[in-house]
Amino acid sequence: MSRYVLGVSALYHESAAVLLRDGVVVAASSEERFSRQKQDSALPVRASRWCLEQAGISMADVEAVVYYEKPLRKFERILVSQLTGFPSTLPAFQRTALTWLTDKLWVRNALCKELGARPSQLMFSEHHLSHAASAFYCSPFERAAVLTVDGVGEWATTSLWQGDEHGLKPLSEVRFPHSLGLTYSAFTAFLGFRVNNGEYKVMGLASYGEPRHVDKVEKVLQGVDGGGFQNDTRYVAWHKSTVRSYSGAFEQLFGAPRQPGTPLDPRQGEGKHYADIAASVQVVLEERLLALAERLHADTGLDALCMAGGVALNVVANRRLLRDGPFAHLYVQPASGDAGGALGAAQWAWHEVLGQPRVDPGLTPGLGRDWPDDRVRTLLDELNVRFDDVADDRIERAADDIAAGKVIGWFQGRCEWGPRALGHRSILADPSRPDMQDRVNKVIKLREPFRPFAPSVTAEAADTYFDVPPGGEGPAEWMTIIGDTREEHREAMPAITHVDGTARLHRVRREVNPRYHALIEAVGARTGRPVVLNTSFNLKGDPIVSSPVHALSTLQSCEMDAVYLGPCRVARGQLPRGGAS
Amino acid sequence: MRFADIRPGPVLVGVSHIVWRLPGRPATKMAEFAHTELGSGHDMLEACELTPRPEMRPLYFLHALDELRHSRMFRERARALAIERSRTQAVLDDSGYLHSHGIRGSDPLFTELGELDFLAFVWLHEQRGAAQFGIYAGLMDEDPASREMFARIEKDERFHIAYSRKELERLAAQGQASAVSAAVWRIRWRRFKQGWLRFSRLIGDTMAKLWLTVIYVVGITPFALIAKLTEREQGGLVPAEVDDRPAAQRALEQL
Repeated sequence: MSRYVLGVSALYHESAAVLLRDGVVVAASSEERFSRQKQDSALPVRASRWCLEQAGISMADVEAVVYYEKPLRKFERILVSQLTGFPSTLPAFQRTALTWLTDKLWVRNALCKELGARPSQLMFSEHHLSHAASAFYCSPFERAAVLTVDGVGEWATTSLWQGDEHGLKPLSEVRFPHSLGLTYSAFTAFLGFRVNNGEYKVMGLASYGEPRHVDKVEKVLQGVDGGGFQNDTRYVAWHKSTVRSYSGAFEQLFGAPRQPGTPLDPRQGEGKHYADIAASVQVVLEERLLALAERLHADTGLDALCMAGGVALNVVANRRLLRDGPFAHLYVQPASGDAGGALGAAQWAWHEVLGQPRVDPGLTPGLGRDWPDDRVRTLLDELNVRFDDVADDRIERAADDIAAGKVIGWFQGRCEWGPRALGHRSILADPSRPDMQDRVNKVIKLREPFRPFAPSVTAEAADTYFDVPPGGEGPAEWMTIIGDTREEHREAMPAITHVDGTARLHRVRREVNPRYHALIEAVGARTGRPVVLNTSFNLKGDPIVSSPVHALSTLQSCEMDAVYLGPCRVARGQLPRGGAS
Repeated sequence: MRFADIRPGPVLVGVSHIVWRLPGRPATKMAEFAHTELGSGHDMLEACELTPRPEMRPLYFLHALDELRHSRMFRERARALAIERSRTQAVLDDSGYLHSHGIRGSDPLFTELGELDFLAFVWLHEQRGAAQFGIYAGLMDEDPASREMFARIEKDERFHIAYSRKELERLAAQGQASAVSAAVWRIRWRRFKQGWLRFSRLIGDTMAKLWLTVIYVVGITPFALIAKLTEREQGGLVPAEVDDRPAAQRALEQL
């Protein structure tokens, strides 16, 4: 009889639920894919319900429901921080006391009431342990050093681990208020982007700038002997405030913050100044990560590194770690932020609490919701949406569209796990067209024009077009590392080559995603390059689409040319017209 | 059963005249409308997916497309009107996102209400929207682009009112008149209750903040002094605390 473990992460950034059957992932999804609230942090009630449905079981069949952190320990940290910040922490105290006393302290009750779990089923992991488990137990390494870096968990903001046949052993950690993740988020806020969502924009912006302000950033975040770091708390406010992450002293150091939503041209004027700041914080982040990696390597003597935590989504730093750091191999799973905590909590419980041996966890790009072909056809019929049935030649038709310069939505198979579009819910286009980056940014994704797009390339052709550091092939399959577009191909693929010549490539193996692999090959047969521009199937502010109606509304809301919904091709003109106006 | 239209009352008309003339307010209001319409669009998409009645699916779908288009129209207009005011910019920046609040996310409105109450909700809600937008269009003498936008949106709202009303009338004619009437009253009651809850929460939060201030100043001071004296703001790597107890034991604890 199969044994089930449900992992749950919630209440801070992005909630998620993951179901393991005998240690193998059978279903995994963020709550946002159901609620349509980007980075929804509420308990993943709908995601959990769906996971159980997917496995055909009820909550009673689940052996353990594992929450990804220790809520009371986190509350302790918040209280202590506010006590030490007395008397300037009054507004923060009012806010957090209200939130915690009415909601967050009662996680145990909420898990029982909302998810239908029994108290005897509940377990609590630790924040960074969950991150570490999500990285190590999904990795192909029998033994590895593990580095988890994020804003903050209970007390730890950075943790160093060793993973081996005995499990995960904690080595050392950096504790709140010193935090790499919160430092990067403070700069994200300063640069006018949304915290916990706009960090990758800072990373993209950094490529346009010169690291002229490294000395200033190092005043905020200093390296210390032994590989660690510390913040000068005069410049930051996250330990005293729930709404501000940097202080007045920070503004004196860097000047006026950028107003959110205002135009930003990173090549000139004020925009260049902000790009320089982004470049500086990126450089300092990389230096601190390298120092941590050196220390971890010295402590473990291992040559493989697993990373998790929100900072592990910094693909530029990941490349630097692999290229300039001491480790020969790197593994970063696609949901390495807080959503991934659900995966790690479940895996930790499976291996270390229930004492089960390691198995291949079956992590694939598509672990979310699925829509069978016949359901898609029926739905489109009911909606009076005209479509072409392309079940037998969807690959060829889609390749024709892409080669003809059209931008298509690709909605095939199960929804992705994690924030990256990995060929299941993607917007695709031909990267060789000079106007494509602008077109997709401005009229399709409706986002900032400076942001680059990622290429998907067949594994066989990846080395021809891109240069990824040795050991980076695995992360490239999850889009968690960048490579260089080879010099001779940069001009030919302007839409996916960033201003600094890099690309956040997605390496597609036939055995992992055969349909998507076949599509890229078919595009290659037409354009001469088996590479497509791949960006997530959503608009700015929306989560990735998870159902056909979301895909159709996205088609209507932007200037995409067509969507391939399972076996059906729906062109823009085939959508029914809206209401009276 | 009579389906009386909602007409804008003098209070709404008077308040609108004042509010829309406040400096910077039109842009902020439009950014807020963009956010509301985005939420409505998602509610309608969920209804489209969840309804067990296939004949309702295209209507909900068209309605959703309208709401999402309105959201974009409001956002673009807000952006065009936005002067250099941080509040407008912040609201505008936020208007493309839906937010979750609290520990418990909400069920889809359609699931929460059921189809009949959902239709009653659409009918009442859209009438209010049409009435409001009609007033606002009349206030835009100096802003023809906004006036035209409100007029277009009001026209869409009329379509939404018409289909929901038609469906309610059809159900009433099929012998469900009392159920339809009850649904309409339940939605009216729900609206009143939500208004009351918002007001109560405001009062509750204010009272709680007052008490928390007293606790903070009176009760916390000695602990704060101890905490300050024992403060360890030590940065850098420190050895991890190793808990030797079995994982099964540690897993039961929240602290």
